[in-house]
Amino acid sequence: MDERLERYAELAVRVGANVQPGQEVFLLANVEHRDLARALTRQAYRAGAAYVHVLYNDMHVRRALIELGPDEALTYAPEWRKTFNESMTGNAMIGTTGDPEPELLADLDGERVGRAVPRELVEIRMRQMSEDSVNWVGVGAPNEGWARQVFGEPDVERLWEKVAFCMRLDEPDPVAAWQDHLARLEARCEGLNELGADALQYRGPGTDLTVGLLRNVRWMSGSTDTRDGIRYVANMPTEEVFTSPDARRTEGTIRSTMPLPLQGQIVRGLELTFEQGRAVRVEAETGADLIRSHFATIENADRLGEVALVTKESRVGRSGTIFYDVLFDENATCHIAYGMGLPFLVDGEPDDGLNVANMHVDFMVGGPELEVDALLADGTVVPLVRNEEWQLA
Amino acid sequence: MKAEERLERYAELAVRVGANVQQGQEVFVIPEIEHADLARALVRQAYLAGASYVHVFYRDEHVRKAMIELGPDSALAYTPAWEKELTEAMSDNALLATTGNADPELLADLDGDRVGRAIPLERAEIRQRQHLEQSVNWCAVGAPNAGWATQVFGEPDVERLWEKVAFCMRLDEADPVSAWREHLDRLRVRGDALTGLRPDALRYRGPDTDLTVGLLPSARWGSAGFRTSGGIDYVANMPTEEIFTTPDCRRAEGKIRSSLPLVLDGQMIRGLQLTLEEGRIVGVDAEQGADLIRGQLGTVENADRLGELALVTSESRVGQSETLFFDTLFDENATCHIAYGAGLPYAFDGEPDEGCNDAKLHVDFMVGGPELEVDALLADGSAVPLIRDENWQLQ
Repeated sequence: MDERLERYAELAVRVGANVQPGQEVFLLANVEHRDLARALTRQAYRAGAAYVHVLYNDMHVRRALIELGPDEALTYAPEWRKTFNESMTGNAMIGTTGDPEPELLADLDGERVGRAVPRELVEIRMRQMSEDSVNWVGVGAPNEGWARQVFGEPDVERLWEKVAFCMRLDEPDPVAAWQDHLARLEARCEGLNELGADALQYRGPGTDLTVGLLRNVRWMSGSTDTRDGIRYVANMPTEEVFTSPDARRTEGTIRSTMPLPLQGQIVRGLELTFEQGRAVRVEAETGADLIRSHFATIENADRLGEVALVTKESRVGRSGTIFYDVLFDENATCHIAYGMGLPFLVDGEPDDGLNVANMHVDFMVGGPELEVDALLADGTVVPLVRNEEWQLA
Repeated sequence: MKAEERLERYAELAVRVGANVQQGQEVFVIPEIEHADLARALVRQAYLAGASYVHVFYRDEHVRKAMIELGPDSALAYTPAWEKELTEAMSDNALLATTGNADPELLADLDGDRVGRAIPLERAEIRQRQHLEQSVNWCAVGAPNAGWATQVFGEPDVERLWEKVAFCMRLDEADPVSAWREHLDRLRVRGDALTGLRPDALRYRGPDTDLTVGLLPSARWGSAGFRTSGGIDYVANMPTEEIFTTPDCRRAEGKIRSSLPLVLDGQMIRGLQLTLEEGRIVGVDAEQGADLIRGQLGTVENADRLGELALVTSESRVGQSETLFFDTLFDENATCHIAYGAGLPYAFDGEPDEGCNDAKLHVDFMVGGPELEVDALLADGSAVPLIRDENWQLQ
């Protein structure tokens, strides 16, 4: 048995989802992720899972749906799939990423690709996120196609080494290393929450953006508690501190600094211009149609849902690798998401400024030239990130 | 024919002749994870045939192995609510299943009793009911893969396996769809002749075999061309070379020996020998895998009675391929076979007879070969030869 694979799966099960004895575990993996899916299943049973449900997703099936299926199939959510998602409530979920063919849908009609979202399924997951009723984790599953995307050749072993580095599997005690790391991010959050900034300002090449912040919305990092008190780490790796902004107060232009694989296409050089919180202009070297379709068909997708700060201590950043995978790349550098805000960040009643949408898409904006400042209510400017280093003591 | 074209034509045959997917139907594709190439072609062909939606649920034997090896007892027979709904939703819709075990001995080192108990009972019940109601037009086809090819040839020669499978499926014919229609007609004629004879019993004689199995007056000899209660014609197994019926499960006496290895729940059963008295299996011996069979017979009610008799002769394309496929879908069409477990309620004129066995599993094993003689025993005591030297005798 591949020891690294089992240790990796164990970390995802015990630190990530933190599977509790007697819980059912829902595993969602691409067919190309089967080696990891099998190891996760073994580790979940070892952790005491009552049952492990494994649902393999196949992008070629999705391609056939979009290319050959009738219109009404695009957004269809079968009853059994709804029950599958509903059954996750109070249980554990593990999702895997690492697209084996990121450009599989590239030659299809971007508008149809954009519409092919089973909304009812997404709504269930969104509700579970806002209730915080599922302890879950997303982890990467190295495979040939992903490795080819990253290195230009199907060197899966090299990708595994990069992934293992980002996951701190090289540490003698990865579990303890993760606990230290999570504590460091937590301290950063506390600093930001005490600062109580009114807005963030981003400046850099092609970028001059101001994003309003909400008073009762917290900054958070890697670990979260479910409503039942199970502590989990939703993303592994995680290097970010993040919050949801005031969706009504975004002004200016921001340019993405890394390619974004999205629904089988790759969006490159994305540039968004905002006025009064809404994206009013979308430009990109590739993939602009897909983003425009999101904004046109999904209510409030054109407003921001998340801002996240990452600095160069990041293992993902230090790996010197563009992974072409949001789970990893968003932890390499600062990022922003359009679409749904994160209701679990709100203290007390939900704020009107928190965006509500059936979608959440992260894109990367960080880099050596990006400067991020906190603007306080009294007009003071506090530098947060310079040259990818954290400035707030 | 290029491999890609062959794959699409094969999938098209399964969708159009096999399941006979109708415009507007939902289609359920249930493959093993190693069958992804074929599964994807089936999905494409199903949409091209007018499917309103194609559901795909991949199974993974390694996940099952982890459950049996590491999961709690309560997980073994568990059917999740969503899987019940998935199965229920097949009613009045189409199902495409694939076979071709990528790792047939995967479960061989596990506790045979636990393997035998790991049957999601509620799912099995729903499928049995759908069989009874004839509410699903479905088809099972083989999905060549490296592990299966290794099992067959001792090396992962998938292309060679594809050629064998394509031969069994008549893909070499100029018009495979009409070749299939003629073939199905020939089997239907054979079945009707035997049904008309109204035998009281069948007698099997051969090496280590001397078995008499009672037949039921209302039993029909069918072939794989079926019709749903909604009137959709479909071919449940491709390839198919058999005519079959359900025997009187109360009347089986003697002993029978399997003539081909049987892959079951990840284990290999060789040299299976069953002894029957008053319809029940009272003795199980095998060179390999006897515990698994005993586990099933011990835990599943009425698994120890017979559910099916099937006759196959030397015209069989599977037989002619001279290949042992280590896969029931193919091997049961190479030669005569018998199944223990559930009878086939649709193998009767009218309501199923009470002699039709009721059980939550159905396992075929092969008994045919050049030395097997099969006779029909009529009510007046006369014996009519049906099979000699693998040739059909009844005109």
